[in-house]
Amino acid sequence: MKLLQNSGIPIYKQISEQLKEEILSGKFKEGEYLPSIRGLAQELRTSVITTIKAYEELESEGLVTAVQGKGFYVNAQDSELLREQHIRKVEEDLTQAIKASKVAGMTEEELIETLKVLIKLSEQE
Amino acid sequence: MNYTDVITGNNLNKRFGKFELDVPELHIPEGFSTALVGENGAGKTTLLNILGGIRRDNKGSVTYFDGKKIDDDGIMERIGFTGTRNYLLPHWNGKQVRELSDMLFDSFDKEKFDSICKALNIDDSIFGPKGKCISKLSDGNIMKLMLATVFARKTDLLILDEPASALDPLMRDMLSDILRTYIAEGNGKRSVLFSTHNISDMEDVTDYIIVMDNGKVLEQGFVTDIKEKYILIKGDAEKEKAASEFMISAHAGKYGFEGIALSEDTERFAGMDVSFEQPDLFQICVALLKQNSKLQMPVL
Repeated sequence: MKLLQNSGIPIYKQISEQLKEEILSGKFKEGEYLPSIRGLAQELRTSVITTIKAYEELESEGLVTAVQGKGFYVNAQDSELLREQHIRKVEEDLTQAIKASKVAGMTEEELIETLKVLIKLSEQE
Repeated sequence: MNYTDVITGNNLNKRFGKFELDVPELHIPEGFSTALVGENGAGKTTLLNILGGIRRDNKGSVTYFDGKKIDDDGIMERIGFTGTRNYLLPHWNGKQVRELSDMLFDSFDKEKFDSICKALNIDDSIFGPKGKCISKLSDGNIMKLMLATVFARKTDLLILDEPASALDPLMRDMLSDILRTYIAEGNGKRSVLFSTHNISDMEDVTDYIIVMDNGKVLEQGFVTDIKEKYILIKGDAEKEKAASEFMISAHAGKYGFEGIALSEDTERFAGMDVSFEQPDLFQICVALLKQNSKLQMPVL
């Protein structure tokens, strides 16, 4: 796991995003426990509260379940939920692109045209 | 956040002349690391001495580990305390520190103490045949020696007064690692409370923070909550007057201003063309302490 100190993204967010990727990619299996919050804090050299916040984030997204006194285990990732997670990621990234296009003074048509060109390019690869 | 207290304080009060320590309620969370921050003379050492059972002439009550008193059977045994430089008597040598610790605490492990002293590279002339007295040691070495006496025991709670300030950068970094390991191995049952001037150095080992000023607690909470409670604001110089009305403290320069406000007041800055950022702990502490500080920039 890579944590950047000055990226502007809170450390807990960086941890939860990277764990989320690992869960969605199947690196952590259904029912498997995530590392203990204090163990992970020790490994990543962060405060305990940071890893707790990261795990709570995953819990609120329905990726893991907390068990009192035992820790957090990975939920079954049903394909519908997975698809939704991916769609949300697409929406987030597109929103970023829209913001950037406004800064660049692009029109709506230009933006859509750019998207079409990029889709074609990626299909060729 | 749900947590239980490792230390609970009620109506703690101590006066010295003009100074009054007054803490109606205090909760130190179990399984976490808590930082006590404040200006010189804010009462940090007084409070830690009370909590460590060193000072007993105060009003109010303190309980540990779910309702136990400091003199209850085995409680002192479970608490590791390091104080300021003169906590260990200056004329003792290293061997005497070792023998006395062994006498005072059942769980003190002499071999473990020796290996910690070696690992922390403590000046070994205090253990030699002549046994140089520890007053000859540097502040950093004395701190390392105090830490060694604490980590050679089996404890569940550490109370450390300014553990980092005398240490060099390498040892400071290692202290953070040591504290995280201590907490991780406790599996939620070990806690640390320390005071510090330099919260930036210790931020990666701080879960809960207590900010003290002039004998009182100004702010306390889990770091993640505190960071969301406040917002760092930057704007152009001409907007400083309008903005400062809603800010806890602001620093204005020729080209712009910067300061801290409550996140819930974010909307009040509408139309002022300011930028918002999440502050770090140091910025929050400075802003809080500046409110009442008598400190002024001297004319140079």
